Amino acid sequence: MNVLEVRDLATHFFTLDGVVRAVDGVSFRLARGETLGIVGESGCGKSVTALSILRLIPPETGRVVGGSVLLEGQDLVKLPESDMRAIRGHRISMIFQEPMTSLNPVLTIGTQIAENVVRHTGVSWSAALDRAREMLELVKIADPRRRLQEYPHQLSGGMRQRTMIAIALSCNPQVLIADEPTTALDVTIQAQILDLMLELKEKLGTAIIMITHDLGVIAETAQRVVVMYAGRKVEEASVDQLFAQPAHPYTRGLMRAIPRLDAEAEVAGRRPRLQEIPGIVPALNQPIAGCAFAPRCPFATGRCRAERPPLIETAAGHSVACWETARVLEAAA
Amino acid sequence: MSEAPSLEVRNLVKHFPIHSGLLQRRTGWVRAVDGVSFAIKRGETLGLVGESGCGKSTVGKTVLKLMEPSSGQILIEGTDVTHLAGGAMWPHRRRIQTVFQDPYSSLNPRLTAGTIVGEPLENFGLAKGSEKEARVAALFERVGLRPDAMNRYTHEFSGGQRQRLGIAKALSVNPDVIVADEPVSALDVSVQAQVLNLMIDLQDEYRLAYLFISHDLAVMRHISHRIAVMYLGRIVELADKRTLFSAPQHPYTEALLAAAPVPDPKRKKAGRVVLKGDVPSPAKPPSGCHFHTRCPYALPVCRQQDPPLIEVAPGHHVACLRRPAGGDPVPLTPTA
Amino acid sequence: MVAIPQDTAAPLPRPGRFGTFVRRNPTIFFGGLLLILLVAAALAAPWLTADPFRLSPVNRLRPPSERWWFGTDQFGRDVFARTIHGARVSLLVGLLVAVASAFIGLALGLVCGYFKRVDGIVMRVMDGLMAIPSILLAIALITLTRPGLAIVITAIVIPEVPRVVRVVRSIVLSIRAQPYVESAIAGGTRGARLLTRHILPNTLAPLIVQGTYVCASAMLIEAGLSFLGAGVPPEVPSWGNIIAQGRSFFQIAPWTILIPGAFLALTVLAVNLLGDGLRDRLDPRLARRM
Repeated sequence: MNVLEVRDLATHFFTLDGVVRAVDGVSFRLARGETLGIVGESGCGKSVTALSILRLIPPETGRVVGGSVLLEGQDLVKLPESDMRAIRGHRISMIFQEPMTSLNPVLTIGTQIAENVVRHTGVSWSAALDRAREMLELVKIADPRRRLQEYPHQLSGGMRQRTMIAIALSCNPQVLIADEPTTALDVTIQAQILDLMLELKEKLGTAIIMITHDLGVIAETAQRVVVMYAGRKVEEASVDQLFAQPAHPYTRGLMRAIPRLDAEAEVAGRRPRLQEIPGIVPALNQPIAGCAFAPRCPFATGRCRAERPPLIETAAGHSVACWETARVLEAAA
Repeated sequence: MSEAPSLEVRNLVKHFPIHSGLLQRRTGWVRAVDGVSFAIKRGETLGLVGESGCGKSTVGKTVLKLMEPSSGQILIEGTDVTHLAGGAMWPHRRRIQTVFQDPYSSLNPRLTAGTIVGEPLENFGLAKGSEKEARVAALFERVGLRPDAMNRYTHEFSGGQRQRLGIAKALSVNPDVIVADEPVSALDVSVQAQVLNLMIDLQDEYRLAYLFISHDLAVMRHISHRIAVMYLGRIVELADKRTLFSAPQHPYTEALLAAAPVPDPKRKKAGRVVLKGDVPSPAKPPSGCHFHTRCPYALPVCRQQDPPLIEVAPGHHVACLRRPAGGDPVPLTPTA
Repeated sequence: MVAIPQDTAAPLPRPGRFGTFVRRNPTIFFGGLLLILLVAAALAAPWLTADPFRLSPVNRLRPPSERWWFGTDQFGRDVFARTIHGARVSLLVGLLVAVASAFIGLALGLVCGYFKRVDGIVMRVMDGLMAIPSILLAIALITLTRPGLAIVITAIVIPEVPRVVRVVRSIVLSIRAQPYVESAIAGGTRGARLLTRHILPNTLAPLIVQGTYVCASAMLIEAGLSFLGAGVPPEVPSWGNIIAQGRSFFQIAPWTILIPGAFLALTVLAVNLLGDGLRDRLDPRLARRM
C-alpha cells in the first residue's frame, strides 16, 4: 500500500536566465514504512523534489507546473495552502542538512517541539511539553528535562539534528523527508544519527525519503533507490539490485567514480585510477531534447541525443531510462 | 637519512586565546594543535584525517605560515622556517604551495584565470611577459583546461575546473610540497574523481609531497601513502595506509572506520561500534587521553595519563595506553 | 495540471543588452537617467536659462507662466534660472563631498583594516568625529572664517568621513579573511600587489555605493546650511538660499519654495535610487546586511 505517490512531477524556476527545469517529470511511489533513497549530484533536482512534495518552493521564484503528489490518494498539488499547512509537520515532516538554520535561535527546544504538537493536535500546552520530553527521550538526548529549557546554540550539531528529528516525528507523521540529514555532521555523529533514524523507523513505522549525494548513506539506509540526473529519474531499483547491477550508464559511472573504503588494496603499491565521468552536468535553463546524460555517456548514439528515453523495466522492480540498456549490460558482463 | 624530508613538523603547537567578557580579557586557550609531529618524503602523500575541530586545518595553515605556530618546528626541505616572518619567510613560500577546499571563494573573482595562475610566477620573478603567458598556457594544458580559457573570469568555470585552476596555480612555481585542505569535498562525486586522478598524476610526475587534509576516509585511502588520524589537536595514530585500514590499533581509528558509510548494501553493520556522545570542545579537552570520554575500552588510568605516541611496529605509531611499547596489546574488549 | 499564468510561462523575451540591463536594474536606470538630466541641465544652465541675477522689480512675484516657467521671486528674478543654477551648487557640493570623503575614508579604512595597532586609535577618533553635528560644525567654522563653498564642504566632509571609514574597514577585514587572499599570500603575493590587486578592487564597489549615500546626505545638509544662512553666500543661487529667501512670501508665491524644494527632493531621490541599484548590483552581500 502506497502512502505517497509522485506522478510526473515537474517544477520549474523562472529566472532571469530563463526557465530552469529543476524537476522534469519525476515519478515514484513510497510504501508504508519503507525507506526510499533519492541519490544524485548537486543540481539534479533531488531537494527540489522534496520541497515540491511539501509545496515549499518560494512562489516568487518557482512553481510546480505539472504532475501530482498523492498522499493516501489526496493530491497535495491542488490543495489550498491552509490545508497544506495542516499536513506539513503533521502527516509529512522534513529535516534538513543544517539543523541550526531550521531551529529558531530565540526559542527553547521544548517550546519548538511543543508548538508543533499543539498546532497539529490541539492538545494543552502541558500535554505538549510532556510529549516534547517523551520525544527527546526517544531520540536519545540525555537529561531531556533540562534540555527542554535549552536554546539551540547550547546543543552540539548532532544533538540539534536529534532535536530536528524529535520535532519532525512529534506528531507521528506517515512520511519523513530527510534532505542530506547527515552531510553537515562528522562521520561518527553521522553514524549515530543514521542508526537512530533506522531504529525509529522500525519503532514508529514512518516511511522515509532519504535524499543524499552519498552512495554509502544510501547503501546503509535505503530499501529502494531512485537515481536522479538533471531533473529526471534515470534509474530505480531495490538497493541490492542497484549496487549489484546498476543499469544506467550514469549510475555505473557514479559507482566507479567514488573511492572505496572497502576496495582491495592497490596492486604493487600503485594507486588505482578512479573512473572519471567526463564533462559536467548540463545547464537546466535550456531544454534538453534527448537523454540528459548523452553528452557524457560512452554509449550515446544519435537517438540518445534526439529522443528522451522512457523508463523501461529491465527486471522486476528495476527500471531504467536508457535507450542502450542492452549494450550497457552486455559491456558490464 | 639520505635526503631531508620535504616537510617535517616537530611537536607543533598552536593555541588560540579565548577572549570573553566586557573587557575582552583572555580567559583561556583553544588548544587547536597540541604537539603534532610528522615528516613527508618526496613523492609521498601524508593524509591528515579527523573530524571537525580536531585541528587538521590549523596544522595546514600553520605549516603554510599563514598562522604563526605557538611552538614547535616546521622544516621545509631541511630548512627551519618556524620563526621566519614576513620578508624572511617569503623566498620559502615558493617551496610550499596550497590547494584550498572551496573552489568558489579561493579564487579572486575580479581576476582572470590566467592572472591567478600566473601570479606566483610574477611574485617570485620566475617569468614575465610572453614567457609567463607561455608557461601559464602550458600549466592550463597540464591540468586539463583549454589554454584559451586564460582570459575568462573564474565565475565562468565549474567547480571542478576552478579546482584545476587552484592546482595549476600551486604547481606554477615548482613547489616541493603541496598542502591540500579538503580539495575535493566541495565537489560532486563525478568531478571529485577527475581532480583526485589529476593530483595523483601530478604527484608521480613531479615527485611532489602532499599533505592531504580530509575528513573523508575513502578519499584518504585512495590518495594517501601514510595516514595520521587526529583527535582534539593530537595525532592518535599514524601508519601506512594498508596497516591503518586493515589493522587499526587506536580505538578512535577503529570507530572512524566503522562509522564511515560503505556503498555496499551487503556489508551489514552488525556489531559495529558506534561512538557515543560528541567531540569535546578543544577549549576544554578532557584530562589524560582526550578520547577517554567516548572510548568504549577506557581504563581508569586513561583519565589521568597522557598517552604518548609510541611506535608499536615499524612505521606504526599509536597513542593509546592499552598499546604499551614492546608489550602485547591489551585486548580490546569494551569496558562496562 | 496547475494553471500557469501566461506572463511567466511564456518564453522570456530576448531583448537587446540595454533592454536586459534596464529590466534587471530599474533603479540604476531611472536614478541614473534622472541624474544625467539634472547634471546636463546644470552644465547647460548659462545657455538654457536667463540671467539668474537680473532684477526686474516690475515683474515681482509673478506666478509660473509661459514667460517665467517657474515664476519670479520678490525681486523679479527668474525662479527657473535660479533653480537650474542652484542645481550646480547642490551637485557640486554632493560630488566634492562624496569624492573627498571616499578618498579620505578609503585611505584611513585601509590603514585601519591592515594595521591592528593604528586601528584602535583611529577608530576612537572616528567615533568622536561622528558625534559632531555637521550643522553646528559648519556654523562654528563660518563664524571663524568667511562663508564659502570650501567651508561648507569641509564642514560636511568631517562628520561624513567616519561613516566611510567604518564601511571600508569592515570590508577590508572581511576580505583579508577570504580564502583567495590567503591563497594569494601562500602564492607569495605580498605588499603593494596584495593591496592593489586583491584587496582594493574588492572595496571599490561598496565604496561607490557608500559614496552615493554620502552625496545625497551632503546635498541635504548643504541646503539646510544655506537655509540657515551658514552655507554658501546668500547671493549665490543655491536651493537652500532660494527657499530661505522665499519663505516670507510662501503664502502668496509658494512656487519660490516648492519648486527648488521639489528639485532638491528629486535630486536626492535620484542619487539614492542610483545608490540602491548599484548596491544590489555590485554587492549583494552588503545589500542583505544593510
